[in-house]
Amino acid sequence: MANSESLDNVVLELRRGVIVLAVLSQLSGEQYGYSLLKLLSDQGLEVDQGTLYPLLRRLEAQGLLESVWKLEEARPRRYYVISAEGRKLLPKLKKEWADIVSVMKKMLA
Amino acid sequence: MNLIDRYVREVGKHLPAKSREDIEKELKSTLEDMIEDRIEQSGAARDEAMEIELLKEYGSPEKVAGTYYPNQYLIGPRMFPLFTMVLKIVGTVLSVLAIVGLTVGLGKVGFAGREFAQVLMQKVFEYVGIAITAFGNIVLVFAILERTLPDSEIKDLNPNEPWDPATLPDEEQPNAVKRGDLIAGVIFGFAGLIMLNFYPEIFGMPINFNDDENWYFIPVLSDAFFRFLPWINIVCLAQIGLDLYLIRQNTWSNISRVGKLLVESAGLAITITLLRIPNIIGFSPESFSNLPIQADDARAVMEILGYIFPFILVIVLIVQLIEIAKSAYGFWKVNYKMK
Repeated sequence: MANSESLDNVVLELRRGVIVLAVLSQLSGEQYGYSLLKLLSDQGLEVDQGTLYPLLRRLEAQGLLESVWKLEEARPRRYYVISAEGRKLLPKLKKEWADIVSVMKKMLA
Repeated sequence: MNLIDRYVREVGKHLPAKSREDIEKELKSTLEDMIEDRIEQSGAARDEAMEIELLKEYGSPEKVAGTYYPNQYLIGPRMFPLFTMVLKIVGTVLSVLAIVGLTVGLGKVGFAGREFAQVLMQKVFEYVGIAITAFGNIVLVFAILERTLPDSEIKDLNPNEPWDPATLPDEEQPNAVKRGDLIAGVIFGFAGLIMLNFYPEIFGMPINFNDDENWYFIPVLSDAFFRFLPWINIVCLAQIGLDLYLIRQNTWSNISRVGKLLVESAGLAITITLLRIPNIIGFSPESFSNLPIQADDARAVMEILGYIFPFILVIVLIVQLIEIAKSAYGFWKVNYKMK
């Protein structure tokens, strides 16, 4: 039980580190929160709503995302898209990620 | 109002006003999307049971609100260094002002009588009040700054002194002796012994009556106290001997630790005995018979001393208990914990 909890916590920590990169990479086109959640899930990355929504707001506050409210299907939805600053940052983050993967591959081989 | 609206409103109650409306709107939109998704997948009609199940999965309103603002500080880490710096400066200034004010206030009324006690109490309460008010005001100002100042402004305000690893303390040496403390102990021990044995009359109270220039000195300790002098001498000499031995050895050993425990326990036993003895103070109404003091004032002085002397003994007792605990812990740490 304790081992399972520890594993869950470590996995959560590992995922938390990659969510920013995953979100920025998926927002070249506009997505609202729930559609982004499903998009990530469809590609194999399960993210909790309680993690995603606050993260979207934080990235917007940092200027990496932009958002706009749109009225669709009789209810408003907030659409997020990567900003110019986010687009500049994304290649650097991708390179950083590739370096980490390469180092970790060597370490875990 | 349906269940989802009630839930969203409840989450909003735990959010700051500036972002509440926006988060509520997005949360409601998300929950509606999720319900729609479930209807599509299950083919079932929307009902309250479905909403309940969804909201249970989403989490309690407090938890959901907490994910948006996980660290809600009154004064957060970014402001805390500056807050403590201001607190230290204000604390120092207030302490100096309090000491000066207390000295001036007591100097005006003299060191005797009811007026002395009244001014002392009044000043102490006054400065405690000022300290609490100052602390409250500083907290209030920083709590406001925490919520209004942008990060860029705060970075410029924080003290940013370069850190030097050379300032790290040395590796802990559990047997190391603090020679400075021991030398001070020997000097004060000898001074105390000389005063108690050769000049016992100096243990007393200077009193100034009627705000005039004449000061009177009244010895405080009684014969009952001096009957314990041989025991006090033995304990003091043992303490001085032990300190000198430690200065020479420059390290603690099990023998010296046990010796210190024994000496301190003996000192504690004397303090407890002194506390239990009545008439330890040599003050009596007769002590004032040749002095220009009213009977009421004499009683007031006696009353104050009746509290002060046991109070001093209690402080001595607490210090002795702490020293014994420290010695016992040192013995245990070296002999059991580190092995």
